[in-house]
Amino acid sequence: MSASSKPTISRRSFIKLSGAAAAAAAVGGPSRVLHALVSGNEEGAGVAAREMFSACDMCFNKCGLIARVEDGVIKKLDPNPHSLKSRGMLCARGNAGIKQLYDPDRLKYPLLRKGGRGEGKWHRLTWDQALDHAAEQMQRIGETYTRCGFLFMAGTDMQSTFVHRFAEAYGSYNVISHESNCLLSRNRAFLDTFGVVPTPDVLHSKYIIMPGANRFEALVTPDSMDLMTAMQGGCKLVVLDPRFTKTAALADEWYAIKPGTDMAFFLAIAQVLISENLYDEKFVAEKINGLDEFKAHVAQYTPEWAEKETEIPARDIRRMARELAAAAPAAMIYPGRRSSDYTDSTQIRRSFAIVNALLGNWDREGGLIVPKKIKTGSIYHDAPFYEDNPEDRVDAGRAQMMFDEEGSFKHTRDAVIEGRPYPIKGWLTYKTNPMQTGANRNKTIQMIDHLDFMMSVDIVMSDTAWMADLVLPAPSYLERKDPISAFLASSSCSGVITRDPIVPAMFESRPVFWIVKELSKRLDLTESFDFTIDDFRKAQLEKLPEVVTALKNEGVYNITGPSYGIHEGKPFKTKSKKIELFNSRYVENGVDPMPVYHPPQPVPRDHFRMVVGRNAFITQSASTNNSLLWELQNENSLWIHPKPASNLGINHGDRVEVVSPAGRGRLKARVTEETRPDTVYMDTGFGVISKGLSNIFGKGACIAEILEDHADSVSGNMAMHETFIRVRRV
Amino acid sequence: MKQSTPKKYGIVIDGSRCIDCKACMIACKVENDVPEGMWRNWIRPLQNVSGKQKSEFQPGQCMQCDDPSCVAACPVGATYKQADGLVIIDPKKCIGCGNCVSACPYGARYRNPAKNIADKCDFCQHRLKRGEEPACVITCPTKSRIFGDLNDPTSEVSRLVSEGKLVRVIAPHINTRPNIYYREGTRLLDWAVTPTLPGNIHMPAEFWE
Amino acid sequence: MFKKIFAVLMIMVFLLVSIGVVLAAEGKGNARKGKYLFRKNCRTCHSENGSAAELSPISKTQADWQKVFDNYKQLECKAEWDKLSDQDRLDMYEQLYGHAYDSPSPAKCK
Repeated sequence: MSASSKPTISRRSFIKLSGAAAAAAAVGGPSRVLHALVSGNEEGAGVAAREMFSACDMCFNKCGLIARVEDGVIKKLDPNPHSLKSRGMLCARGNAGIKQLYDPDRLKYPLLRKGGRGEGKWHRLTWDQALDHAAEQMQRIGETYTRCGFLFMAGTDMQSTFVHRFAEAYGSYNVISHESNCLLSRNRAFLDTFGVVPTPDVLHSKYIIMPGANRFEALVTPDSMDLMTAMQGGCKLVVLDPRFTKTAALADEWYAIKPGTDMAFFLAIAQVLISENLYDEKFVAEKINGLDEFKAHVAQYTPEWAEKETEIPARDIRRMARELAAAAPAAMIYPGRRSSDYTDSTQIRRSFAIVNALLGNWDREGGLIVPKKIKTGSIYHDAPFYEDNPEDRVDAGRAQMMFDEEGSFKHTRDAVIEGRPYPIKGWLTYKTNPMQTGANRNKTIQMIDHLDFMMSVDIVMSDTAWMADLVLPAPSYLERKDPISAFLASSSCSGVITRDPIVPAMFESRPVFWIVKELSKRLDLTESFDFTIDDFRKAQLEKLPEVVTALKNEGVYNITGPSYGIHEGKPFKTKSKKIELFNSRYVENGVDPMPVYHPPQPVPRDHFRMVVGRNAFITQSASTNNSLLWELQNENSLWIHPKPASNLGINHGDRVEVVSPAGRGRLKARVTEETRPDTVYMDTGFGVISKGLSNIFGKGACIAEILEDHADSVSGNMAMHETFIRVRRV
Repeated sequence: MKQSTPKKYGIVIDGSRCIDCKACMIACKVENDVPEGMWRNWIRPLQNVSGKQKSEFQPGQCMQCDDPSCVAACPVGATYKQADGLVIIDPKKCIGCGNCVSACPYGARYRNPAKNIADKCDFCQHRLKRGEEPACVITCPTKSRIFGDLNDPTSEVSRLVSEGKLVRVIAPHINTRPNIYYREGTRLLDWAVTPTLPGNIHMPAEFWE
Repeated sequence: MFKKIFAVLMIMVFLLVSIGVVLAAEGKGNARKGKYLFRKNCRTCHSENGSAAELSPISKTQADWQKVFDNYKQLECKAEWDKLSDQDRLDMYEQLYGHAYDSPSPAKCK
């Protein structure tokens, strides 16, 4: 509760949280369950109601929830007030979670492809048939092409750890996470500056510049709620975004920055901080490496120069630099999350990181912090080593500094298509949908054409499952027992959460843990899976009895205590043991050691730059078919500025065709001043090819179809804002 | 549980906190089984694209008015005001005539096409009986709605009302005395409409302003 | 002028790096195999409930791993180390040094 004692926290939520805690203490047990039974009696009438804790899975945030069950049916999902990370809330998607469970479009039993790939003709299999078939294919591919000839890709999920374990036991190190379509550039940049990827202490900040991030729509807990609380307490928010997002709408200042020029803005901010001596000299002297080099480097990047690049007035840049400095260290450049934007996204994010460093906000209240995380136990396994395997990942060497354990979807896909340096012939996907989220869908289809066998484990027939040879039905998060998950949030709200089945798994759906365990039996890899989820949890929590108690009584374990000022005096986990404005490892890898500005490609005549994003009721492609969320939005549209729209004869609501070198799509035009004249915008998650998504099939256009697949040169992160498109009325 | 004074439920809405995320709308829809295409609550936007002035998103729902024109408009007494301030519809009595729908200055009512009866927000009466706050209130990420008992001087809603920095959205020519208050400074004040009442309905004199 | 400073710095950095990784210069290890060997040979004792301190690549800095490998003959478990071939040790070094906590690719799993 320590965060709650801060004056900046909303008084209301404080009252709520402490009230709930007091109630729990008084009842002394699973308070909600007891309470429900009592009131059930009051209301009488034989409804057997019970309430259970769980963690939401409508996006990656894992917000705490309480499910109300009546007569075996989940009636309502409410926020868990004990969950400090989610600040006792549940968003629209969280509330719509019951329609992920009760969805007629759900996959019901294993399906084997009958016709051509993507034709949508299926043949029902029993689980034994499906697993035997999958194991046979995996065995054959492993023997013919080495174990690395099989690719694994699992999205963010509490059971994805078992997919990774399975890949390791099977012997392939070609494992990609969803991260390379999302946030690797940011991770790369902040890790390479601070030696660790920090979280922003938004709650206590006094001045936030938010470049590109859209925290009031692309919700991240607790940042989204904390941002509002902080602003109510006087924190100033400046948004840089070519689009008038709801975050921009609620900001103190919004600048429709020219896309791709954020680095120019922040180098100019740094130039002002340095030339006007606005940084904390003691902090810099103690903690920063390479200030002299950086001083010399940024001298050229004046606000007047940056104005020409960014289209933000020099006087505003200078003013903001001074305002930031005045509010420091409780001031920040918000690091952001999805950073799959430009070919130099790592360097762009490095410029964010460097300004943060100059603000001296490291490990400070209202700055960038690294809270404590609970260290859970594990069950070890000795994965075998296959001598015939190639030496490295298939995508190795295609980016300058790729994360070994994340890989790159873009580069792996290229490698599969090229068959170099070695062939990949099998693919397992779990709860990830690169057909919708990986730029250049036609290339993903081409990649799949090169495979002998592809299997997808999913809840519904996603576009990726639609292309697979074998589709295996998974239960939703409300029907599953998951391992313990320790998460890192910010402002003393990191914690631990887990899931138990609220209702039994429907149809023939089986969790991916069960699937890989069954496959491991058939592939003679049982040693890696000789445990149950309960055993696994027990090992995880063996030394953490207080977590066990909290999970039982409150559905979440919150880490309390200060989350800043806790790393003072410790060396940074970088090569120089300091914050690196100058990164010597970059030199070794042929990367500029300090961010060097290169202007973005100019938008060609009669073209637009396309940018993508989402709103608060879309989780990329995972939620748009949800029948409740579909009521809020049943298709996407092309945001286009009135000026070019009128030149092209496009009226609001007209159908338009968008064409890029990668592909095309048709959707409605939304003629609006909420985007720059040179930039068009489209939401993710529509234009599906899967007829198994009955609500949204035939609606809107798909970003992955239209976007070209550029990549961030340093991290291999997809670069999704480098595509120029044409628009015409149809 | 002592209940000496009757309760009077009200909500104070701080539109400056709303981020237009629609959590309240989906929460309500699930909680109250509201049919497709219909809503019991809403978020009204005021967008200033210039970026010079902040936008505002203003949540709303049935205001549980003290002088409810909808109650007056109901020909069969199916909609009535309860002692706790809630305006309630009795589904057994409602004939689905729709008079109350056009009689509401706030557009808070709709006709449920499946059941052919009027429907609207009742502050989740069934949840209140369980000791829980309305679904829209509890789920809100930024806690835009503050719910409570206006008759309890220690409640936060009473405190806010007594501070006086609140306004009510009132329709032209008619004051139904709503029990939803908005934080002073809300710029969305002129959206309520003069209700259409059936000809034979006579409202008290103080009703019209 | 800045370019000059930069060039000098680059040269210095290269020198530092090449001194630092003498072991690696002897031949390249296979990190994948190193991971397997580390688990097989070290983790029996160096684990959560083992007889020695729990170890994973991120338990140490690159410099510390370097020291461990340079001076393994002074370790208590020297006998275990001696059973390994030079290539095995190189493979393990590649894995542990390459995924150390201050490395560019710190290990995520154990």
